[in-house]
Amino acid sequence: MMRYLKILLLLVWAFAGCKNRPDTAKQKKMAIIVSTLNNPWFVYLAQTAAAQAKTLGYESKIFDSQNNTALETDHFENAIASGYSAILFNPTDANGSVVNVLKAKKANVPVFCMDREVNTVDGATSQILSDSYSGSVSVGKFFVQTMHKKGNYVELLGLVADNNTWSRSKGFHSLVDYYPGLKMVAQQSADFDRNKAMEVMESILQAHPNVDAVFCGNDAMAMGAYQALVAAGKANRVKVFGFDGAEDVVQAIKENKISATGMQFPKVMAQTAANYADEYFKGKRDFPKKIPVAVELVTTDNINDYIAYGKKD
Amino acid sequence: MAKKALKYLLPVVVVVLLAINSVYFKKLNEVKASAIKQFNATAYARNYIDQQLLSAAGKAPETDQLLDQLKNKPDSTFKLYSHALDIGNIRFFMTKGQGTVTSIDDNNIYLLTPNKQTIKIATEYIFGNALRDAPGIISINDFTNTMDLNNVSAEINKIIRTDVTPPFKSKVKKGSNVIFAGAFELNQQHINLNNIEIIPVSLKITN
Repeated sequence: MMRYLKILLLLVWAFAGCKNRPDTAKQKKMAIIVSTLNNPWFVYLAQTAAAQAKTLGYESKIFDSQNNTALETDHFENAIASGYSAILFNPTDANGSVVNVLKAKKANVPVFCMDREVNTVDGATSQILSDSYSGSVSVGKFFVQTMHKKGNYVELLGLVADNNTWSRSKGFHSLVDYYPGLKMVAQQSADFDRNKAMEVMESILQAHPNVDAVFCGNDAMAMGAYQALVAAGKANRVKVFGFDGAEDVVQAIKENKISATGMQFPKVMAQTAANYADEYFKGKRDFPKKIPVAVELVTTDNINDYIAYGKKD
Repeated sequence: MAKKALKYLLPVVVVVLLAINSVYFKKLNEVKASAIKQFNATAYARNYIDQQLLSAAGKAPETDQLLDQLKNKPDSTFKLYSHALDIGNIRFFMTKGQGTVTSIDDNNIYLLTPNKQTIKIATEYIFGNALRDAPGIISINDFTNTMDLNNVSAEINKIIRTDVTPPFKSKVKKGSNVIFAGAFELNQQHINLNNIEIIPVSLKITN
């Protein structure tokens, strides 16, 4: 009799535990690991992800990798050890970050990539990425039209280890290279960094004073290149094209200082990543491996439809 | 003596066998060729145009009617007829129609449709994802490599630039009657029907 009573009590306790499970789920936390907080675009991405996590009822914490994969590894180890249930991740290096994603997977912590991809199909649960290639095709078309199919131009590349750098460059060249009148006189990396872009552009202008245009892999570099052109007294003659939709470039397009940019939507990417993590916690498992987010061409013709990092509602 | 020889010979044989089976040689050009074989975007694009895109173009809504519906019921028209592989505001429509050429420039021809709407057909800038995405046939889950998907668009456009637009451009003139089919891009948050540019998949002069 006593034995049956014990079994009964055990069953009651077990069912009571099941009832409490949703409350435990509410206590799940999301780690937001971003490549750098030294660029306002990534600050916005991280803060939007944190805001969406909060809206969904989860705690979150932002980790800054400072463009350093070793630091990124530390963040992953800390996040896993501290019991974070999902990682919303903006990778530093498409190859170098793979090991971190796989480490999280081994610990059964889902990873949702935002904006930048990692070179593994199986590592991340889903990768929500800007369609950088197609966006650069649009910028490239406007570039050719603006340049009337001829002129000398410079290309400033981003971080060479980041896939976005090459997607943007390839998309741009997939169109521009059809026009032999457009000659690329220099192509150099400025690591997506404004100050470095200014230095690189200054040295390029010394070797190639007859430049007509600059295509930059992001807006920070576009602003750096523009500063170098101002210093050289060429800002009115040389056209600058960027990519991102950052606040200062949106303003610069309004003032006719920058010709165009490819507007990305960090809000869409960050919110989708947080929503996917929430759905994962609730049991969903069939996520698309990669989701591209459309990039829109912004010029002086349509600038009034846009604000920094997105579109006016 | 024989036992001692066997003692030394046996490990040597094992090491040699392991070495032979661990190393193999392939011609570099064969390795490169097999890497290229992984996905043939040109063949995929050709097959897509012949087997799927032209058929989808035949079933596409008439341009005059589609533009009217976009003016009057944009939300339901986007829902019914547009497709895109990306998430966001950029959507693509397939369409077909006819019109009379009113002007020609380096980059486009301009047609006046039976409903007196002027539309632009691209003859120079055949780029972007309109022809890949508009019919809604290709699924993103069929591609694990994003660059393969990008190359599909590039190859479709290349075929149109090679096979469709040059023979058309050499014959078309102001006043020609043209039957066309193609795809165009539209931003669903800021709809601008005045600057639609149709990327053609077929162009035929009827007079």
